[in-house]
Amino acid sequence: MYDALGIIETLGFTAAMQAADAAVKSANVSLGKWLKVGGGKVNIIIRGDVAAVKAAVEAGVQAASKIGTVEAHVVIPRPADKLAKKMPINPLSADKKQ
Amino acid sequence: MAGVALGFVETRGNTGTIMAIDAMLKTANVELVQRVEIGGGYVTALVRGEVGAVKSSVEAGAEAAARVGELVCTNIIPSAHEEVFEQLGVKK
Repeated sequence: MYDALGIIETLGFTAAMQAADAAVKSANVSLGKWLKVGGGKVNIIIRGDVAAVKAAVEAGVQAASKIGTVEAHVVIPRPADKLAKKMPINPLSADKKQ
Repeated sequence: MAGVALGFVETRGNTGTIMAIDAMLKTANVELVQRVEIGGGYVTALVRGEVGAVKSSVEAGAEAAARVGELVCTNIIPSAHEEVFEQLGVKK
């Protein structure tokens, strides 16, 4: 089960995709669908185990800040079950694997 | 297999993006993947192709966009991960 949840919020789509690419290449994590928040803000959803998500978020933030501005980033080691059910944070590859 | 390099040109306002897309498609052998709108006036043009083609087209696109509108940033990912392609709904 993917437990940890990492979110990188950037201003701009280009920085977000750079963060996603750096994150997914730096650790064994999987990405959820990117979220359009409006006002030019984009969220990148990263799922995996805690250590991998931490490393991935770190790498993503560093890569994205070279190009655009990173508004916020967070790592939730154990997201609440209800959160996972309601919010669109499931990894894209979830349907393939389950 | 089409090139795996991704080129991004992000502007505020659509006019700059359309100019950038036009310049990019004329400059090199690249394929327009998507035009992404994320609100707040930010619009991103996304092209794919060989690294060299993407590099020259993004440069031309950025210059064209800067002339007309407000260029936010540009980026080239030489070989993006499959999950990034999956995010964009495109086959690698």
